[in-house]
Amino acid sequence: MASASSTLDSVVLTFAQTLSSIERGFYRLPGSGIIERYIRSSHQNDPGRTFLEIIILFLVVGTLLQSRTRADRNNGKNFIEFTDKEIDELVDDWVPEPLSKPLSEIEAAELAAVPVVAGPNGPHPILVNTGKPAVNLASFNFTGLASNEHIKQRAIESMRNHGVGSCGPTGFYGTFDVHVKLERDIAEFLGTEGSILCSQGFSTISSVIPAFCKRGDIIVADRGVTLSIQKGMEISRSTIRWYDHNDLKSLEEVLQSVEKERRKRRLPLTRRFIITEGIFERDGTMTDLPKLIELKYKYKYRLILDESFSFGTVGRTGRGLTELYNVHATKIDMLVGSCSIGLSAAGGFCAGTHTVVEHQRINGPAYVFSASMPPLLAVSASEAINVLLDNPSLLSKLQENIRAAHSLLHPSSAVVSKPSNPASPLPRDAPVFDIAKEERLLQEVVEEAMTQGVMITKAKRVRGLELTEARPSLRLAMSSALSKADTEKAINVLIKILKRKLK
Amino acid sequence: MCRVRDFLGKRFHPNAYKHLMPSDGYAPLNSDFDSFFTRRLKRRMEECFAQPVTGVAGRTILILDRYTPDYNQTQITLGTLTRALNVSSYNYLGFAQARGGCADAVEEGIKLYGVTTCGSRLEGGSSDLHTVTENLVAKFLGTEDSLVSSMGFATNSTFIPALVSKGCLVISDELNHASIRFGVRQSGASVRMFRHNNVKSLETLLREVISQGQPKTHRPWKKILLIVEGLFSMEGTMIDLPAIMVLKEKYKFYLFIDEAHSIGGIGQHGRGVADYYGVDPQKIDVLMGTFTKSFGAAGGYLAGKKSIIDRLRVYSYSGPYAEAMPPPVLTQIIASMASIMGVTESIPFSHLTASSFSGDHHPGPISQRYIPAWLPLPPELSSGVEGRERLRRLSFNSYYLHRGLDKLGFITYGHPSSPIVPMLIFSPGKMMMFHRMMKDRETPIVTVVVDYPATPLQTSRVRFCVSASHTKEDIDTILRACDELGDILDLKHGLKKRERWTMDEVSRRAVELVNMPDEERQ
Ligand SMILES: Cc1ncc(COP(=O)(O)O)c(C=O)c1O
Repeated sequence: MASASSTLDSVVLTFAQTLSSIERGFYRLPGSGIIERYIRSSHQNDPGRTFLEIIILFLVVGTLLQSRTRADRNNGKNFIEFTDKEIDELVDDWVPEPLSKPLSEIEAAELAAVPVVAGPNGPHPILVNTGKPAVNLASFNFTGLASNEHIKQRAIESMRNHGVGSCGPTGFYGTFDVHVKLERDIAEFLGTEGSILCSQGFSTISSVIPAFCKRGDIIVADRGVTLSIQKGMEISRSTIRWYDHNDLKSLEEVLQSVEKERRKRRLPLTRRFIITEGIFERDGTMTDLPKLIELKYKYKYRLILDESFSFGTVGRTGRGLTELYNVHATKIDMLVGSCSIGLSAAGGFCAGTHTVVEHQRINGPAYVFSASMPPLLAVSASEAINVLLDNPSLLSKLQENIRAAHSLLHPSSAVVSKPSNPASPLPRDAPVFDIAKEERLLQEVVEEAMTQGVMITKAKRVRGLELTEARPSLRLAMSSALSKADTEKAINVLIKILKRKLK
Repeated sequence: MCRVRDFLGKRFHPNAYKHLMPSDGYAPLNSDFDSFFTRRLKRRMEECFAQPVTGVAGRTILILDRYTPDYNQTQITLGTLTRALNVSSYNYLGFAQARGGCADAVEEGIKLYGVTTCGSRLEGGSSDLHTVTENLVAKFLGTEDSLVSSMGFATNSTFIPALVSKGCLVISDELNHASIRFGVRQSGASVRMFRHNNVKSLETLLREVISQGQPKTHRPWKKILLIVEGLFSMEGTMIDLPAIMVLKEKYKFYLFIDEAHSIGGIGQHGRGVADYYGVDPQKIDVLMGTFTKSFGAAGGYLAGKKSIIDRLRVYSYSGPYAEAMPPPVLTQIIASMASIMGVTESIPFSHLTASSFSGDHHPGPISQRYIPAWLPLPPELSSGVEGRERLRRLSFNSYYLHRGLDKLGFITYGHPSSPIVPMLIFSPGKMMMFHRMMKDRETPIVTVVVDYPATPLQTSRVRFCVSASHTKEDIDTILRACDELGDILDLKHGLKKRERWTMDEVSRRAVELVNMPDEERQ
């Protein structure tokens, strides 16, 4: 078949050059009717138009004929000629490394100690590891939506309407009415023109960034951004400039220097983005949004803000930083959030103007090339927004637990995050850090806590694959589903262990 | 010409072109060149894409009727629904269902587990249900271990970087899925591509890269990973696994097969291409696949040796960061997979060998141990009878539609046993007509039409995805519709007029068509 279509190509080419001589042969070819009619219809008594089309045709055919499998790298002077026999010998001699090294003993032990919940997860899950219930300070169930019976009921109804899987990417019959509704619900909740879903929270921002940032564009990013942002930036091939973690002064300096450089070298105006997080996944610190927005406008940057940990957890009804700081969400060009963390459902979203949203429907890799999320999870997320809107007490209760935890933890160790943050990592207060040693110590703390009925976790990393290494830390996730007394009791258990282990 | 239009448009209609022009010190959000095709070509064909639907993506689907008052700038839904025959969803085994054993199991699962496990696999989002599913998947595939991930795309894009890195080479089929390319690009490994599904081209490339070593330094590669798809989603072509296994023996590369479309639907037991060719699945280093398609669920899996899978659990981006697979999805996977395998209380040895599952790599019914005790499977599912029936139906439908279209005179691509049946239309304009006319028939049929950039510009096509839930009458309906439209739009360029069969003949001789031996096609 490939050969048939390429003859068709070349026929089309010559047709444009020597129309009359080839005409008879052309009409005998399969498919000639299509081309003839196409030219007729495009001609429409307008020779100029046909002329233009022919030029375009040349360009298109030229592009198509460029082979994608060309050996571009090893050609040229670097290429060494070998005889077949030599190649055979080289092939025989080559000994590849194993596909993957087995885990080290420590890594394997740590993997085996990962908490596994038997049955439903919630504030007091039963752990497979110990066979006993534990107080959950590890899972993301900030507003207790995970065990909401109403949401479960709506999810079941949806399943009875839509089945489980959507069985198709969004472009091809994978867009269900409930997806459209969730996109609208999120946009209304935040106050943006629109929003677009992605079927996994982690992949959302890794896909949003390359949809907009291209080679030659400039990204100014916080040094402490989470892995999904790092990977999105890496794949965009834009020029990345870093500023010091959560230091807006440093940001301003970088913005100034970028502008100076552009003036000096008379570079053309390219797209420029500031990328940072609302609440940082790595250490729970919070961005000063009003100041950030001021800078963005002053230096004419677009802002991509990852609110994965702040959406559904801060603000009076959980709208995130925009609500907390009373900033209009339209001031953030691309507001990225997670429905799996904040809404206890699945997936993520990017909210913004119609242009921002529609652009991603064609250019967001994870949106275009992946099946849409199961409809029942979209329904759960929509329902979760309603629950949050109707029950501001869920968020105030969450804040209460966070404050309680902070007031206990503060005297005993260095807590980086501000009291309103639901995720509170606890890095150790030491001037330099030895990753392996600290990881081991913290792992001991985690395992000890588990045996004492408190489920906590280290903030896990993919060491060696991240652009900047994060300091080892524990991560506590507060939940409004826990009573204040339970929270305090669990924190006290933890403090005791910390004191003993980290003397 | 379109550039001219852009040029003029920007001058005369600044408002409509706002996002393409520098304004107020901001560079345009998308450069006009990047979005050239999408704005000019796709806008005209908006109605073929992103059609909102509701109901179950099963044998039929409900489409939300819409119209456009302004040349596809906006689409307004009318609030009415049309039920259409669905040959578009990846519902190969027909597990997209809102009723029946699997749906009942899922309901039970939601009641028990809710809809989320609250976090990533390594940080407090692991559930016993994950463990059960992973054991079952490994059993299904005949590998040592497996892991599941909540998104098929991310199964490639976040796990491949844990397998290869700088100094390694990935050899990739030129038509590999975007998720594979995304993952490979993130890994930092070098990439070389070979001609689509062409083993010769692969061998030539292998000889070149092994002998030349790394660029510039000529140091030998650390390792070479070949990534191919079992069944290609736009072409319907199947890899030549036996030939690749021979090359693998000789050239010592590692093999990663993305079975997104082949798992479940291909092979005598539905275990994918390894099953189809009778290759030992343990000889393949990494088997990847998705649950989005045949199993009517979501997400993906990776399977292989335990040492490899454990490393992937720890060193992928997904492990610590991405949400774990949600319980309703896990339940759907368990129920659908178990019903293909069949479940028995205790399996006497004689029964095992005498059963229809004679392939050594995929021994038949699994023990009840693999299924959670609370999960209800009705007898027709647990006996495996329905699973086998689904596989048979799918296979019949695939062959029938493929060969039926061929006999009617159309040009189709791909392997005849593939549930993906691409049919060539060539021109984007006709493609749109075809789509519209299929949808507006008395029995509306929704189709997927694809063109540039998913396929080369000159081979716009319609892609049918048949399902076990289709009956022979459904396939007849589709064939008849194609037959009629093919004459109107002049799409039959495969056979000379006198060699073509009539629609009635195709329908009458369906069984004969299906039973024809697989001929070699390229
Ligand atoms: C070959 C291949 N791999 C991966 C995927 C992605 O899977 P999912 O849709 O589940 O994200 C697809 C889906 O289109 C695919 O065709």
